[in-house]
Amino acid sequence: MIEISQQILFGLGVAIQPVNLLFCFIGVLIGTLVGVLPGLGPVAAISLLLPATFHAPPVASIIMLSGIYYGAMYGGSTTSVLVNIPGEAASVVTTLDGYQMARKGRAGAALGICAFGSFIAGTLGVVGLAFLAPPMASMALRFGPPEYFSLMILGLTVLTFLAGGSMLKSLMMACLGVFVGNIGFDLVSAQPRFTFGLDILLDGVGLVPVVMGLFGISEVLLNVEESLSRQEVFDTKFERLLPTLQDWRDSIWPMLRGSVLGFFLGILPGGGAIIASFVSYGVEKKISRHPEEFGNGAIAGVAGPESANNAATAGAFIPLFTLGIPSNAVMAILLGALMIYGMPPGPRLITAHPQLFWGTIASMYIGNIMLLVLNLPLIGLWVKMLKIPYPILFPLIILFCLIGAYSLNTNTGEIGLMISFGILGYLMKKFKYDGAPFVLAMVLGPLLDNSLRQSLLMSAGSGMILFTRPICLSIFVFVAAILLIPIFKRQFSAKDPRGSK
Amino acid sequence: MRNPDQFSSLVWLWVGIAIACSSLKYGFGSFHEPGIGFITFFAGAFLAFLALLLLVTSRREQKMPGRFWNLWTGLDVKKVIYVLVLLALYTFLLRPAGFLVSTFILLSLLFRVKGAHNLATAALLSILVTGVSYFVFEVWLQVQLPKGIVG
Repeated sequence: MIEISQQILFGLGVAIQPVNLLFCFIGVLIGTLVGVLPGLGPVAAISLLLPATFHAPPVASIIMLSGIYYGAMYGGSTTSVLVNIPGEAASVVTTLDGYQMARKGRAGAALGICAFGSFIAGTLGVVGLAFLAPPMASMALRFGPPEYFSLMILGLTVLTFLAGGSMLKSLMMACLGVFVGNIGFDLVSAQPRFTFGLDILLDGVGLVPVVMGLFGISEVLLNVEESLSRQEVFDTKFERLLPTLQDWRDSIWPMLRGSVLGFFLGILPGGGAIIASFVSYGVEKKISRHPEEFGNGAIAGVAGPESANNAATAGAFIPLFTLGIPSNAVMAILLGALMIYGMPPGPRLITAHPQLFWGTIASMYIGNIMLLVLNLPLIGLWVKMLKIPYPILFPLIILFCLIGAYSLNTNTGEIGLMISFGILGYLMKKFKYDGAPFVLAMVLGPLLDNSLRQSLLMSAGSGMILFTRPICLSIFVFVAAILLIPIFKRQFSAKDPRGSK
Repeated sequence: MRNPDQFSSLVWLWVGIAIACSSLKYGFGSFHEPGIGFITFFAGAFLAFLALLLLVTSRREQKMPGRFWNLWTGLDVKKVIYVLVLLALYTFLLRPAGFLVSTFILLSLLFRVKGAHNLATAALLSILVTGVSYFVFEVWLQVQLPKGIVG
């Protein structure tokens, strides 16, 4: 404990160096901007800025790139609340109640709770990261391909269980996502797989065009087909800028629960922030005294998920730094950056490069303070976006999505991919299929493939390796429990003569 | 009687079977030495199985709209198709015509989709937005936007 505290102070000393402070500020500012802009995300922003960091000090570069990531979580909630379009995939859940709050003239309260919840969760997440990462690094050496495989299956199962709508449909989307994620070159044999002769697919299907299409373009298409009278500017008055005392009473426990849930779920490979926000929403709805308010502007439905996705960003650094496993696309890019800087992540990163690890942690706390200071005064500015008529707003959204997709590889094929997934997302929403399990499974797909094949190679073809190792077995028991819960519930509801609600 | 779930489950059943069969062509391998089609085979097979389950359960469902095309009742789907056609044309024209020209044309047409602006207003807005986005992305963020006929 004392040693960790000393290391944190050491990290603070690194973080408050002027160059690191400057890079932290630039990172959180850019992060907020890209989070606000639908279509652009931290993946695109980090990709664009990565080459520029090669001439900068490595620690400052990682601080800036990290700032973009958690800054985007702050900004992503803004468009979710204001225009029902998630700026980030992890802000999808925020649209459910945040947008409804905005329609009732409570956009300011929604955005304020998002900002405060993000700050509290981000702070708690950083504390958790500082105290948990070192012991996890020593545990990391016991994780092999079977453990990784089981962990990813758990992530997928949790998400499909808590995703809105039919679990059957969510599982179907997860299967489709696994398939799409494995399009491209096979890492083991270096052979193209399901590329259909298209060069754009040789490197696989990019996450950014998929997310922009599934969530951004599809939402625009759904709104375009509605009649004009339903698309005018909301006439509700903008009541107040900040949350009331009652809002705080309704939000504080969801924030704290979301922070804890989000942090531990963020450690799971594959879209931890997405799972975390869904889990938090599901939990808040289940324990709420007024579950019928969820989906109609319940502030707990905003506070919990927004806290969860910010805590998850801190948790996501744990598998990256301690295991060298990226838990999502952003972490994958950071992994690449660390390799380029000559600081390969893994169990020995903390001891080999303490200034990087502790400096980044300390800068995340400073960055959270900067974000709160940046976001709160700007709430009024963001709310003014509500005044922009939708016939003007949606072409801007489309344009940002188009530029965002093109800027990835300066390739119009990425735009084509985004439009294709936009059509798929539109149809998915029409037929009530959830996009989040698809996205998570897509990210995890290649990792699942590799870990499964390595596990089978290790065991000479015996699948029992997945059930005989203690960590794997524990995880699969939990997976089975999650899958069986809906069946048991249905059985008990059918037998109950009073029926079920 | 094809309610939306029945229709979509048939589509996914077909997709799942196609994925599984194609995976066998890529090479399933064996459990001792999994091939490159190993996990995609299981993804496709499981998708097909779940689609079949959904097909069976959806036949019992009484509350869904009678036909899947009822999902578009009262909605202007022509505008959706129009926007998609514009986006497809933009994709093809972006490189040859360049960012400035193709974006100006796209925005001018998109601003008029909801019928809220006349041609002059739409053109003015398009010039403004195209100019600002060019400055932000090309000049400031150094994104290499295509020059086309202007460059």
